[in-house]
Amino acid sequence: MASSDKTINTDVPEKDVFAIHFLQSLSNLTTQNPFNSPDTTNYRARKIKKAAYVSMAKAAGGSSRLWSRALLGRAAKENNKIVRFARRKRKVTWKISSKRRSDQRAPEATDRLRNLVPGGGTMETSKLMEETAHYIKCLSMQVKVMQCLVDGLSPK
Amino acid sequence: MDISEEKRNRDSAVNYDSVDNPAVDWQVSSSNPVSAPIDSYTQENLISACPSSCSPSQMMDSFGQTLWYDPTSVQAVGYGGFSVQNNGGNASSSSFRGNVDRSLEMGWNLPNLLPPKGNGLFLPNASSFLPPSMAQFPADSGFIERAARFSLFSGGNFSDMVNQPLGNPEAIGLFLQGGGTMQGQCQSNELNVGELHNDASTVVKEPNVRSSEQLKPNVPGSGNVSEDTQSSGGNGQKGGETSSKGFDTRKRKRNGQNSEAAQSHRSQQSEEEPDSNGDKKRNNEQSPNSPGKKTNSGKQQGKQSSDPPKDGYIHVRARRGQATNSHSLAERVRREKISERMKFLQDLVPGCNKVTGKAVMLDEIINYVQSLQRQVEFLSMKLATVNPQMDFNLEGLLAKDALQLRAGSSSTTPFPPNMSMAYPPLPHGFMQQTLSSIGRTISSPLSPTNGGFKRQDTNGWEGDLQNVIHINYGAGEVTPDPQAAATASLPAANMKVEP
Repeated sequence: MASSDKTINTDVPEKDVFAIHFLQSLSNLTTQNPFNSPDTTNYRARKIKKAAYVSMAKAAGGSSRLWSRALLGRAAKENNKIVRFARRKRKVTWKISSKRRSDQRAPEATDRLRNLVPGGGTMETSKLMEETAHYIKCLSMQVKVMQCLVDGLSPK
Repeated sequence: MDISEEKRNRDSAVNYDSVDNPAVDWQVSSSNPVSAPIDSYTQENLISACPSSCSPSQMMDSFGQTLWYDPTSVQAVGYGGFSVQNNGGNASSSSFRGNVDRSLEMGWNLPNLLPPKGNGLFLPNASSFLPPSMAQFPADSGFIERAARFSLFSGGNFSDMVNQPLGNPEAIGLFLQGGGTMQGQCQSNELNVGELHNDASTVVKEPNVRSSEQLKPNVPGSGNVSEDTQSSGGNGQKGGETSSKGFDTRKRKRNGQNSEAAQSHRSQQSEEEPDSNGDKKRNNEQSPNSPGKKTNSGKQQGKQSSDPPKDGYIHVRARRGQATNSHSLAERVRREKISERMKFLQDLVPGCNKVTGKAVMLDEIINYVQSLQRQVEFLSMKLATVNPQMDFNLEGLLAKDALQLRAGSSSTTPFPPNMSMAYPPLPHGFMQQTLSSIGRTISSPLSPTNGGFKRQDTNGWEGDLQNVIHINYGAGEVTPDPQAAATASLPAANMKVEP
């Protein structure tokens, strides 16, 4: 399920990669907090969700995407681990220069999108669009994987 | 048609033999698949390749595509005998116009096209693979159009220009030929053509004039009065600026606004020059282009933003009838980038084909992302309920069982020494099989190790599955270590496999 545009590259790994990562993170989950955690469904659900996001970020190309880096950084912070990725050299972008011009930006339509996509707060709008596209692809892939898993695990 | 005939004549007259390589390359390139729909971004992509680094064939392809004027008559755009026949005359006028529009917006990566100073014309410096003029051709339809116009009206004088020293005449010749072809297709250029004619004639009469000047008439076409830092060399010449201006606006993103200001300044200078050519160019530009910031061209692909490896310039051409202020240019480029991405997203989000408009599209995208995230949450909740113990270790154990079963059924298969997470693409059905088998095993009672656990569906598993299972197995049994899990499960599995 890889697609590539001439100018925008939003290749996404195959479903299996996502599956592998997800299963691995799930098995990690069970060994993490064996006893000292409330065994409520909500708690488990949250854990699974976090694992899903982290595995998705890893599967979708670890540090080569801004959103995945932001996701992994956020998750690491929650676990009190610090993960640092090599920062790619950034050219002076118009966004940055425009920020200097005006501190206040009129509420933009893209603000909501920024809130949704991890790491979208400081991206340039065009970059945000790219990341959104890749993020959407990865999300849909992850949803498929999870659906398969649920189908497999649910009692027949 | 006269134009086509003239072109043909010119083809023979133009002597590009001096440039051997390019001709060869071009001819070779003609066979390249240029069949990609013009509406796609192939042209821009080809063009975007740094002229110095990209093969002339690429440029020729894109160039040729847009140049296609008359399948039967046009032999070649005169590029050293390169025949623009690759298209087979497929270029429709509509597509051509589309190209033209797009080219107007396109940033031309023509670092060589307008050497910083002095050169005035499109000397590609050391590009050996192309005649200097060729190298600098952005292979842009707009460029071609301009060239076409120029050539169209230079008429018989073209030969004079051809004889000019390297670079200028060739460039002009190329323009001419390209322009000729384009001319036929772009009706909108008619107005320009007339004006160009005057320009061309004046230019031709002064062969010694700097090439930049000659190129000036080429530039107008549908091009825009664009800022150009390169034109500094041609400052002394009348219209020297304009020619370079017409080509390309170098935006030095690194320098940010400084260069922009300089460019705008220079472009303003050139604009103010009492240059008939420039005026004509501007006039010409008005007709073909849709007035005002044009969204349609913006939509298609305003700008090629890939930076050539050599320099980080993003070449932008100011559209006709629009402000050529550096800031507004950059704004336009940015807007086009965004609209291009929005189009891409539109394809991604289901059911967004009919939606038009940035705001509505944005809402749709936001809704889709939100729905996906909600789906993830819902599925994770479901997973949590389905598997109350959260003991996904069973999967690993199951894998071991499965592995044993498989090993029992067949000879021990040597496992690859290093298993990485990135596997070669596994068969599609693998996922379902794995999960279904895992699910079945979990739900049914099973002994952690060698139980007489007969599984029929193990036969369906493929070799790759073993690898996956190994990983899970490793993760479950060994202390959680992501890296180790990937690679270390093998020995453990091996031990179990062999009784």
